Amino acid sequence: MTTEFPLLAARGLTKAYRRHRIEVPVLNGLDLSVMPGEFLCIVGASGSGKSTLLHLLGTLDQPDQGTILFDGERIDNVSIRRRDQLRNQSFGFIFQFYHLLPELTALENVLMPRLIQASVFGWLWKQREYRRQAMELLDLVGLGERIHHRPREMSGGEMQRAAIARALMSKPRILFADEPTGNLDEERGGEIVQLLRMLNRQEGLTIIMVTHNMELVSPTDRVVRLVKGRVEGASPTRGLNSIEPRSGVPLRKAL
Amino acid sequence: MYQLLLCWRYLRTRYLAMVCIVSVMLGVATLIVVNSVMGGFSTKLRERLHGLLSDVVLEAYDPVYGFAHPEHKMAVIRSDPFLNERIEAMAPTLEIFAMIQFSYGQSDLARPVRLIGIEPESRSRVGGFAEFLVLNKNQAKFELTPEARQYNEMRNRFKPAMQPTPIAFESVDGKPPPDQPPSREFVPECAILGYAISHYRADNPDEHGNHDVRLLQPGDDVILTTISGHGLKPCNARFAVCDYFRSEMSEYDSNYVFVPLEYLQKLRTMEGRVTSIQIRLKDGVTDRAAVVQRLKQLFQGGVQVLTWEDKQGALLAAISIEKGILNILLFLIIAVAGFGILAIFSMIVVEKTRDIGIMKALGASNGGILKIFLGYGLLLGLLGAALGTVLGVSITVYINEIEHFLAHATGQEIFPRKVYYFDKIPTDIRAWQVALVNLGSVAIAVLFSVLPALRASLLHPVRALRYE
Ligand SMILES: Nc1ncnc2c1ncn2[C@@H]1O[C@H](COP(=O)(O)OP(=O)(O)OP(=O)(O)O)[C@@H](O)[C@H]1O
Ligand SMILES: [Mg+2]
Repeated sequence: MTTEFPLLAARGLTKAYRRHRIEVPVLNGLDLSVMPGEFLCIVGASGSGKSTLLHLLGTLDQPDQGTILFDGERIDNVSIRRRDQLRNQSFGFIFQFYHLLPELTALENVLMPRLIQASVFGWLWKQREYRRQAMELLDLVGLGERIHHRPREMSGGEMQRAAIARALMSKPRILFADEPTGNLDEERGGEIVQLLRMLNRQEGLTIIMVTHNMELVSPTDRVVRLVKGRVEGASPTRGLNSIEPRSGVPLRKAL
Repeated sequence: MYQLLLCWRYLRTRYLAMVCIVSVMLGVATLIVVNSVMGGFSTKLRERLHGLLSDVVLEAYDPVYGFAHPEHKMAVIRSDPFLNERIEAMAPTLEIFAMIQFSYGQSDLARPVRLIGIEPESRSRVGGFAEFLVLNKNQAKFELTPEARQYNEMRNRFKPAMQPTPIAFESVDGKPPPDQPPSREFVPECAILGYAISHYRADNPDEHGNHDVRLLQPGDDVILTTISGHGLKPCNARFAVCDYFRSEMSEYDSNYVFVPLEYLQKLRTMEGRVTSIQIRLKDGVTDRAAVVQRLKQLFQGGVQVLTWEDKQGALLAAISIEKGILNILLFLIIAVAGFGILAIFSMIVVEKTRDIGIMKALGASNGGILKIFLGYGLLLGLLGAALGTVLGVSITVYINEIEHFLAHATGQEIFPRKVYYFDKIPTDIRAWQVALVNLGSVAIAVLFSVLPALRASLLHPVRALRYE
């Protein structure tokens, strides 16, 4: 990549929740750019709007104001269909509580993005190939032996691995991870982050991870801190195409 | 595609859903059984009525005096090529109310009846008569068998009151009394009695397992009293029972007494007059309305032209109205099942809120989520309907066995055969009816799942994901 354009760029994102006429402002003109192949950590106090930001970037929600560009395409106000398609094919999500479907086996959970995408005939046509891919992914995350287990038969770490495999199923461009280790012990959490790092390094997958645990952040990651609904330290009036420098600021300092 | 998988899994893992299936199943089964049994009754009834009544009847406006020259009218009909082509047979009939009297054991019994004068041959050709005779099935005749004849004479000998007292001739002037005038052999007129007039049903069967007790043997006498066509004076005559008429329609079996037409005309001093002409159409004649129209044209209102449905219209209409109302009421059962589906689905949607959020995060569209729950409703409906159909059809097919069993178990006769004259509960399973019931219940199941499905599909993904 010679001239680097951000894979994902947010400008002036504003989001407030309204409940009973009381407005809770969460994001306040936030700017953010993510370069291809980046491993971005979003940190911030609880309630600072990290999850909200992730949902906006991942088109699960829409901002009140501001724009989001994905690969040059504006995605904050596109049709609901396009957003479904983006989530299905370009984005992968993993969550703190794994969010596997309890009725399905690990394999079926991993296949879910493809199942959602495919028509009945498309599925019958391609299912062998998809199954093979899913097994490979389960192998990759170290669950090769557990493909027919239901979520309730797996530990938290295993569920999160299955969730990662699921997120990778449709070969996404960006992986959003919302506190993926929040529910795991240190060791398991470390393994999960290692797995993500490996994906980032070997496959060049762009990863945006929200975390509380600073131990998990490596010095090579770019860290963004949310304060008062903005990225700390960033000036709110940046041009669209300007590129934020890869901050190699060690974490302790940033804290 | 994922909808199919999830529907299937939800079905297998959610026992609550079984409740929906069972309620739909019971509704469908009830509807099928009730419709089949009621349909059976009404079909059987129609069959019997139609078997009994001729297709078309020319009827006098005056039921007592009737009309004259039936043979002339029949000739007119026969001379019409359109009608001639379509009419199989015609039978003149004289019908009048009457009283029947007879003695059984020590008691004298009397009952009102309908007295019908017929010519056995023509009436048999019109149908609904000869095939219902008990002794001479399909061979209608007003004749006693030799044994019955003998029995008749025997009985009358012991009943001197019924015989004219012989006149005692005394010798006059020493001359021997003259020979008695040669007496003509007395041939009694015969009557064919409705089965229920001449029999009654005992509560307990006799040693042959027979419920029916015969009040009148062939050859027994009955006295029929009616009114003459002249000044409505009462007139009566003695008849010997020669046969029984058993159509299994209690209304007919307990009312009809057939006697020879000519004799009845003579008795009522209205020779050559009848009250109706029964007409049987050829098989496969479909334009009955045209026949009726033509007959009306031909007689210009001199007589009524009625079809058999006209004659029994009220009864048939009552049955079909009853069936319609019952169907509406029973569909409420399925509507109740529908509300069950609504409630249970709403619960499932709440329970699955987070899963719905996950699926949306993975790119499932609103329509896709909608389809899961509609598909689920459809699946439950289909399964319930299928099971209900199996249950309903098997109950219908084995209804008599089930009735036997229940009657045994409870000691209470559920289907008193005495009342209906059917020895079995008649059933009639109509494929289109079953299909309609199935379609209706599946539609209701889907309809009631629309609301929860819509709610599920419109869930905001973030709210669903944050839902604990
Ligand atoms: N549906 C909602 N209605 C009202 N307020 C909301 C809603 N969702 C989130 N909020 C508020 O928005 C703010 C940001 O929430 P968010 O979940 O994005 O924070 P977070 O940084 O992810 O916190 P945590 O680290 O605990 O996950 C919080 O103050 C929360 O109370
Ligand atoms: Mg959060």
